[in-house]
Amino acid sequence: MRNKRLRLIAALLLGAVVVVQPAALTLRAEDTNTVELIKQLQKRIDDLEQKVIVLESGKGPGGEANDAKAKEHVEALDQKVKILEREKELEQEASEAKAATAPKISIGGDGFNLSSAKGDFAVQLKGVLQVDSRTFFDNPAVVGNDGLLLRRVRPILEGTVFRDFDFLFVPDFAPSSGPTIYDAYLNYRYSPALQFQAGKFKVPFGLEQLQADRDILFNERSLVTDLVPNRDVGFELHGDLFDGRASYAAGVFNGTTDGGNSGNVNFANDEAFAGRLFFQPFKKAPATALRGFGFGLAGTYETTSTTSTAGLPSTTGGTLPGYFTDGQQQFFAYNPTGGAVVVADQERWRISPQAYYYYGPFGLLGEYAISDQAVRRTGAAPFSSAHLENTAWDVSASWVLTGEDATFAGGVIPRHPFNPAQGDWGALQLVGRYAELSIDSAAFPLFSDPTTSARSAAAWSAGLNWYLNRNVMVKLDFSHTAFTGGGGAGTSAPATVTRKPENVLFTRVQLAF
Amino acid sequence: MFKLGMKALLRGLAVLAVATGWAAGKEITLLNVSYDPTRELYQDYNSAFARHWLEKTGDKVTIRQSHAGSGKQARSVIDGLDADVVTLALAYDVDALWEKGKLIPQDWQKRLPNNSAPYSSTIVLIVRKGNPKQIKDWDDLTRPGVSVITPNPKTSGGARWNYLAAWGYALKKLGGDEGNARDFVARIFKNVPILDTGARGATTTFVQRGIGDVLIAWENEALLTLKESGQGEFELVAPSLSILAEPPVTWVDKVVNRHGTQAIAQAYLEYLYSPEGQEIGAKHYYRPRLEAIGKKYAATFPTVALFTIDEVFGGWQKAQKTHFNEGGVFDQIQKANR
Repeated sequence: MRNKRLRLIAALLLGAVVVVQPAALTLRAEDTNTVELIKQLQKRIDDLEQKVIVLESGKGPGGEANDAKAKEHVEALDQKVKILEREKELEQEASEAKAATAPKISIGGDGFNLSSAKGDFAVQLKGVLQVDSRTFFDNPAVVGNDGLLLRRVRPILEGTVFRDFDFLFVPDFAPSSGPTIYDAYLNYRYSPALQFQAGKFKVPFGLEQLQADRDILFNERSLVTDLVPNRDVGFELHGDLFDGRASYAAGVFNGTTDGGNSGNVNFANDEAFAGRLFFQPFKKAPATALRGFGFGLAGTYETTSTTSTAGLPSTTGGTLPGYFTDGQQQFFAYNPTGGAVVVADQERWRISPQAYYYYGPFGLLGEYAISDQAVRRTGAAPFSSAHLENTAWDVSASWVLTGEDATFAGGVIPRHPFNPAQGDWGALQLVGRYAELSIDSAAFPLFSDPTTSARSAAAWSAGLNWYLNRNVMVKLDFSHTAFTGGGGAGTSAPATVTRKPENVLFTRVQLAF
Repeated sequence: MFKLGMKALLRGLAVLAVATGWAAGKEITLLNVSYDPTRELYQDYNSAFARHWLEKTGDKVTIRQSHAGSGKQARSVIDGLDADVVTLALAYDVDALWEKGKLIPQDWQKRLPNNSAPYSSTIVLIVRKGNPKQIKDWDDLTRPGVSVITPNPKTSGGARWNYLAAWGYALKKLGGDEGNARDFVARIFKNVPILDTGARGATTTFVQRGIGDVLIAWENEALLTLKESGQGEFELVAPSLSILAEPPVTWVDKVVNRHGTQAIAQAYLEYLYSPEGQEIGAKHYYRPRLEAIGKKYAATFPTVALFTIDEVFGGWQKAQKTHFNEGGVFDQIQKANR
């Protein structure tokens, strides 16, 4: 009797909670207090279950029916709680899914990145700053070549639109002549194997030239790069084949001189063709020692018809620039005596076999280049023309003393970025290079003055690169260049340069992100 | 002497090819964008196909999977998700790849046998142990107090099959009267407390969260649930009439052309029709097309009278337009039920 009474009380309590409270506990998923409501309901269910258990000690009349009703109420409440919890869970999933489609922003070693959720649209802000010093030894004849300079000040804006279209803008604020556009191009990626690029960018030719400015081993590229075109305006097809084991590039450009950057405009009716094939046959090889080997062949062909000599430096004597040492001093010029002028005369071709090898901390890079230039002597007899075949080669080696991997692209990433407080000092790399450049003997004396211009130059360099972290590095390198020929009377380059071997100490502080 | 020299040269080249990785074959990655309940099927199938392809060509293929509601997946592919192949819940969603994205040709369904549906399924009911609400057929889902779990037809292909199965049953039972069928389906959806975006989510709601008295589900999902629950926690109820569901597959031409994966994507889907592919499907409770495999697994599948979408609704395009497009019958039902 007592039991039945108690169970009746329990049922009434349940009924009271279910019937009286709903107005106070309106269960709506959109209610901002959903979680609190769930907790309250769950607590009430638990309390009621406890009370039922306590009341189980006695059962009154009609207890069975009340039991069933009470159970039904509890189950109904339980379902409501579960539904609310599930709705909350689904809301959470939906908000996570929404977050996955939100634009992504990141700032790190790769610069400032902003991209759409799927990466179809992206903008990256990067930059390179190089602050150099050059100190020349035992070369008093050349005045004003020591000093500090901003070698490169390049903000880099790159990105992607509509997934397959990449762009890159790189001005340089360092040249004393004012800001200059270095790279400005659009690249369409149909597939890794087939891409089309249009704008101003590096001509696919010299290996060292194609290495990013932030990754080069020394302050200045080697003598070989004197024979290599730099950036030019044009169109290019390029791509990677066989899982990156081979790459190709072929393009048509305005054409530019040895070591030259083209202007942004050229209406000279001349076209230059450039192509490069590069192979990394062991890129996927099981043996890791072979993977970092690559070799290739590049060539250019163009015709030029420039005869203007206006505005050229007096030392060059013609439309063709000369060649420069590691210290960026001119050691060869097209500077015949007697008032003659040398101009490019139609055909110019270049060819360059090239290779590199990287394995662990060791790196080796070498290339050979021939630049064949048709020249014509005007302005003073004897009027003459010739094909001058200038050649150069270099080999550079590097060793990361702290054990990090050396790479062609991407530089050295220190395992322990600079943090003296914790005893971390970054990475150290030892570098060495030898290079030679030979001028065609037919250049002398009709096209160049043998008493001032060198017939050849040979340079060795050694240095130490300190990578504080992946963005900051400090370089210290020394370069010695010896000359054959030249060294005669004169108060300007190339005579003053070739009179003695050049010994120059470089330093660089670089920020690249 | 010359022959010996040639042999030595060829041997040397072969050794060099292996040593340099040229003979190691290509490494290819495919993305299969699929609907919700096919995760387990394609996990097994992808491994089998990768083995098959390696033996056949020497190339190593890795297949990535993406799963969500079928309609949602189709939209993702149209919006740029790089699917080499799609294996979706219904032809309408694949049609959208042509209609809205021009990613595939209009006649994509003719490229593979059985209208590009390598397996079929149907829609059944799952109830809790002992069937406490005594659910025997579709009618029982309309009773007040019966809580029905089914996903949202707006996002889930499976949910659309569920809806149409109930509608088809009602039409037949109620003398072909569309108004009665609509009322029948409206009463079912009045009993739906929560709409998940996909079939797998609905299964989670019913099985793991313990919500609802009955789950309307793919037959394969229902059989998998019964197998995985193990303790007899659930029971399968085969309705007297249901719909023949034919989930289609195709390769996405614009993507495979860009990736250079057309041949392998096609081979991947064709292998679904092979005895091995069909057997894997049957093991995961998809009704096979190959007669021999069908006989072998006959006992797995309950006997259900089936109608096709063409017979009752005049095809997917018409069914979609009438029932699931913005402002369609489903929207009207939901509005009235609020």
